[in-house]
Amino acid sequence: MVIVFETNETEIVIRAQGGDRNAFNELVRIHAQGVLNVIFRMCGNMQLAEDAAQEAFIRAWLHLGSFRVDREASLRNWLYRIALNTATDMLRKEKRILPGDLDDFYLPDPRLSPEGVYLQSEQTALVQAAISSLPDASRAVLVLKEYGELSYREIAEALDIPIGTVMSRLNYARRLLKEKLEAQMIVLKEAEHV
Amino acid sequence: MSNHVTEWLNAYLDDELKGGRLHQVQSHLAECQECQAELKSLQSLSSLLRDGPVPEFISSERFAAQVSLRLPHKQPVLKKRSALEVGWWLIPVGLLILWVFINTSALVSRVAATANEFGLLRAAPAWLVVDSSQGASWSETLGEFGLLNGNSLEWAEFTETFTRNKLPLIIWQASIAMLYLSWIAILWARHTPPQQGQFLKS
Repeated sequence: MVIVFETNETEIVIRAQGGDRNAFNELVRIHAQGVLNVIFRMCGNMQLAEDAAQEAFIRAWLHLGSFRVDREASLRNWLYRIALNTATDMLRKEKRILPGDLDDFYLPDPRLSPEGVYLQSEQTALVQAAISSLPDASRAVLVLKEYGELSYREIAEALDIPIGTVMSRLNYARRLLKEKLEAQMIVLKEAEHV
Repeated sequence: MSNHVTEWLNAYLDDELKGGRLHQVQSHLAECQECQAELKSLQSLSSLLRDGPVPEFISSERFAAQVSLRLPHKQPVLKKRSALEVGWWLIPVGLLILWVFINTSALVSRVAATANEFGLLRAAPAWLVVDSSQGASWSETLGEFGLLNGNSLEWAEFTETFTRNKLPLIIWQASIAMLYLSWIAILWARHTPPQQGQFLKS
């Protein structure tokens, strides 16, 4: 089934490279959620993530001719790369933007009590703040691993860095996250027991 | 317990280890409580990141429609690229042709000079015949005035002959070689992935 899907996607990419806007629209539909998620995790702001994702797909459309379907490169990895670059560019431009009010954008677990929902949203905000505080390079690797679900090889391909660098950046990102979240989770747990 | 495998625990957690390294980490984990605790801590962190609530993004259909409205009407890259590729390949071909031309000219010139020495080109136009005896002039003049003699005069004559006859050809060929190498370097840089520029080198 995967092979069939990839073949179909290759055909769609070739059509889009020939200027077929409907084919490109199909590619946007296929990869929209993945790109939105990666960008959102990268920048931590929903509105900025949507703007950056739109910009990323427009860049992809303009540079689609440079994507080689004959190589083993995956379109998803290529799109993630563009998405991360776009997100980084937009974050640099919009330094004043702080993480948005995340409560409005998450679906709360229906099994949780109102207090549980509150704690979960606190935890989510803390996690996102910790991710947002990581250096750009390490954050990108972490986001592609945890939320893009790419293998080390795919991350290396998407970011054009050696696998050894992927590993060291991921080690660094997780070590930093553990330090940041351990301290914050203690506060959260204490609040839970009050 | 020494030789902890801390640096490989992330890769182990992500199922990225194989062969001997995987075996080494597994064996170590079976005995080392410190590394087991570190692995558990990494697993908890990964769960914390992944098991949180999923953000409610805009639907793919609506998002695609929004992107569609903003798409530029033309997609210029593909056609431009093919035209550019042809032009790009013409550069080394042109350089090679120039190189062959210069070498051929030098060869013909030498043949004509040799033929002239044997008196075979008396009726030939003057521009075709290069006077190979035209070696040194200022060094000969200095020699006539007694300013140079012996080895000094020979070296001066050799230097002048080399500078006048060989050096221009060497400079030409070196210039072409440099141009060609620069072209190769640029071509390599252009075709090296990624297609969207370098990402986050820090």
